[in-house]
Amino acid sequence: MSERQDMASMESTTEPGMRLYVAIWIGLLLIVGVEVALTYAGLAAGVLLSALLALAVVEAGIGVMFFMHLKYERRLLFWSLIPGLIFVLLLMNHLWRDAARMVLLRP
Amino acid sequence: MTQSEMALAMGPEAAHEESHEQSPFGIQSRKLVMWLFIIADAATFGAILFGYGYLRAGSPNWSRPFAFMPTILNGMVMTAVLLTSSLTMLFAVAAAQADRRESSVRWLGLTALLGAAFAGLHLREWFKMFAEGWSTSTNPLGGSALFGGTFFSITGLHLLHVTAGVVALTVIAIGFRRGRFDAAHVETTGLYWHFVDVVWMFVFPLVYLMNARGGIS
Repeated sequence: MSERQDMASMESTTEPGMRLYVAIWIGLLLIVGVEVALTYAGLAAGVLLSALLALAVVEAGIGVMFFMHLKYERRLLFWSLIPGLIFVLLLMNHLWRDAARMVLLRP
Repeated sequence: MTQSEMALAMGPEAAHEESHEQSPFGIQSRKLVMWLFIIADAATFGAILFGYGYLRAGSPNWSRPFAFMPTILNGMVMTAVLLTSSLTMLFAVAAAQADRRESSVRWLGLTALLGAAFAGLHLREWFKMFAEGWSTSTNPLGGSALFGGTFFSITGLHLLHVTAGVVALTVIAIGFRRGRFDAAHVETTGLYWHFVDVVWMFVFPLVYLMNARGGIS
């Protein structure tokens, strides 16, 4: 049995239908609309940033899990890829403290 | 007789199969490689977005130049175009997996066209900004020149990914039509294309909406 046949038999066969994809596409468009509405709602910068980031994470999560099919792969793939990436991004976020320091030290 | 000698005695093809373990991830090597590339690329985009974030936070004279008309509206249209291209890519993958080659090639072509439309809208916006005096080192509004540097770097890197994606989609569509590529190639290219879309989900709010004029109190 070739590698291709092996993998085809190993991969999940419970893939979602196109209706679900279209529903997700509409949902993502609506989230973009919400983001723009929030932008002009007169929120403070920190509140707006938090809200936009939260919505972006939701959108990216939906995109990765459904459009990129990670939800339908073996769980090992998810656990091998995503926690490491989040850890790296959190380490980068740690550098935000430097940004605060730059503001405080500015004459 | 050792295990390798036994495998060799079975013939070259069987020896090849025996000497390779099945992937613990249950996916083809090319798909795993694409996932690894995507994770590395996500960290790259994360780094430049965090870099942009703390440059912005450390610059008290940061400009917020984007009016709703035309920039934010243009960004919304670009976002809708890219999201729609992800949907057409899903149709292309589904058709390829069902061995409907002509249908898959048509969806791939439409996806590439939408990608090209996104790039065209982006370049139109860039050239408008250049005409207003923006560059990677100049700010016509008199605020921090870092705005141009970060804006053109982030959107430029994303635009490079979109352009590469359009080329890849075209090559895969032609190869798939001629029978040189199979459905797995289409699926792997789809992974990349969806990733480009996912990155834009962060670029649009952080780089466009957070710099909308009159958007933040």
